[in-house]
Amino acid sequence: MTLASTRTKAEQALSRSFEAVAAELPGGRAIAEARKAAIGTFAALGLPHRRLEQWKWTDLRSALKEALPPAVNERHELSASIIDAALEELAAIDAHRMVFVDGRHAPQFTTQADLGGLEVTPLAEALRPDGSASDALTDQSITGNEAVVALNTAFMTDGALIRLAKGVRLDKPLLLLFARSAREGRLVTLRNRIVLAEGAEATVIEAHLALPGAAAGQTNTLTDVRLGPGARLAHVKCTLAGERASHLATWLATLGQTSVYRAFQLTAGSGLVRNNIFALFKGEGAKLDISGAFLGREVEHIDTTLVVDHAVPGCESRELFKGVLADRAHGVFQGKVIVRPNAQKSDGKQMAQALMLSPDAEFDSKPELEIHADDVVCGHGATAAEIDEDLLFYMRARGIPVAQARALLIESFIGEAIDKVEDERLRVALAQMAKRRLTGLTAAQP
Amino acid sequence: MLEIRNLRVKLAEEDKLILSGISLEVPKGQVHAIMGPNGSGKSTLAYVLAGREGYEVIGGEVLWNGEDLLAMEPDERAAKGVFLAFQYPMEIPGVATMTFLRTALNAVRRSRGQAELTTPQFMKHVREEALGLAIADEILKRPLNVGFSGGEKKRMEILQMAVLAPTLCVLDETDSGLDIDAVRIVSAGVNKLRSQDRAMLVITHYQRLLNYIVPDKVHVMADGKIRKTGGKELALELEKSGYAEFKSKALESA
Repeated sequence: MTLASTRTKAEQALSRSFEAVAAELPGGRAIAEARKAAIGTFAALGLPHRRLEQWKWTDLRSALKEALPPAVNERHELSASIIDAALEELAAIDAHRMVFVDGRHAPQFTTQADLGGLEVTPLAEALRPDGSASDALTDQSITGNEAVVALNTAFMTDGALIRLAKGVRLDKPLLLLFARSAREGRLVTLRNRIVLAEGAEATVIEAHLALPGAAAGQTNTLTDVRLGPGARLAHVKCTLAGERASHLATWLATLGQTSVYRAFQLTAGSGLVRNNIFALFKGEGAKLDISGAFLGREVEHIDTTLVVDHAVPGCESRELFKGVLADRAHGVFQGKVIVRPNAQKSDGKQMAQALMLSPDAEFDSKPELEIHADDVVCGHGATAAEIDEDLLFYMRARGIPVAQARALLIESFIGEAIDKVEDERLRVALAQMAKRRLTGLTAAQP
Repeated sequence: MLEIRNLRVKLAEEDKLILSGISLEVPKGQVHAIMGPNGSGKSTLAYVLAGREGYEVIGGEVLWNGEDLLAMEPDERAAKGVFLAFQYPMEIPGVATMTFLRTALNAVRRSRGQAELTTPQFMKHVREEALGLAIADEILKRPLNVGFSGGEKKRMEILQMAVLAPTLCVLDETDSGLDIDAVRIVSAGVNKLRSQDRAMLVITHYQRLLNYIVPDKVHVMADGKIRKTGGKELALELEKSGYAEFKSKALESA
């Protein structure tokens, strides 16, 4: 075997890191075996690179120059007020909270959700030999994303395991905060699972934030969503990872019969982000609505890659992603909708739009339809455009100064995606957080 | 007073002269109509007054209350009281009509040194004006002009005009695409704004609108020039004879 010699510095470091920390990672023997197998898979595959179709615009092998040491048991001194400040408008949302700092559950900041039918367990606890989480491992195989999932399995330290019993409606949103605090760059690896039994309903917010003074780090996070028949989940992810940070995220969602999955992702102020979303319709009549807003500046790179698999008939999928790209920022959207041969009456629509604030910004978009059934309605579109001068003139002719007109147009562009969030308080909070960052974006433009 | 003196305008990107020496004066308190065939330069004149890009002024001047209008940015012109009612109003997805109106009004009030209105004051003001134009409350909550009918868009232009209270109103083909009931509503809205300290320039292809908004003067424009000026009866003559007389001149000079 001469594989190792062709591996990059970062790839070799990841394998070495595993050897160094394996004994400290949570889990009994079976989990340790699974981790070992996963690092073996990673060693064989290496980091995804541009010769893989799914990664042609996000070449991790060249982008990740070094692999940071994994955070295993970082020490931190935090206060609730620091956390609230970092959460910005999300702090004011009345929610159950579960807080993780540098990849470990921080129980002092977690508010106990005292509701019958709701189980919330930190992954590290569930992974113990006497724990309940042998099924925390996912068996879903995702073409092109194997190496990222393998790294997640190998290094995962903690996360939230959420289970809502049949017919239970969560009284308020569950906010999962994943904060970074370490002063030295660390690799943080998280694994979450959200299981909603038949007819259960919940809103779950994932916030990935860097606390003041935290070093730029690397994150690998995976959330496995399983919706039972008729279940409804609103799932929001807010990624503000910090400058020069890298953030690899995978969402795996399986939708039971007539379930409804409404997801939204806000991504801003992050060095390198790859959001992978894989949604599988398992039961008929289910509905999926995934939207997102991404804001990039300087040399930030934000990639959203999603696959929606209509494996059964009669399901509906909607995707709307809107991005604003300034300076030399690079946005990527790859959206693939698969309709299997028996999946008649599938209805899929997809749209990705970018507003280009600078001639040096780049947006690459690849919508793909792979349709094997004949009675379906599917469509997609993608645009990249500058601010519409006619609209700008119209607003200026009404007395609105040019900078304000521009800001209002950008805000309204992004607003179309944020408007998909149904919960009003959450929608307003996200809009404010996006607006704060848009101000930074537009101020820098001529 | 609006004073346009020998205004010559070409397209910025091409060597095509659109306005070839327009001269015109509209005193405060008066309504002047500009009529003319398609392609005569009427809309270009409206855009140049409002400050749209894409045109190059190669001669002449435009003074508004003695100030050089052409030296101002579009939003400065609005602050000075200039308002263009667009022939094709823009749709702005994601911006609620109320939000847009409020942003515009506050911007204009700030630049005129007036205090911003409180929310209740603003709402009351807009609702009163909207009522007169038969604009439903529900429409004010929708994104500006998105999914509005042609008539709704034109009424919205007049609502904006009423709310912003400009002193120079330029109406570009405000009657185009309207049925007779809508023309009546829009005209009533415009007539309500006629006053001693306001000048209006009404651009129209057809005489019909001028039955409702009766002008003090009518100018006929063709080939980028004012060809004839008269009283309100000139519009009626044109209705009978059409623009043939002016078109033939256009051909001769071509």
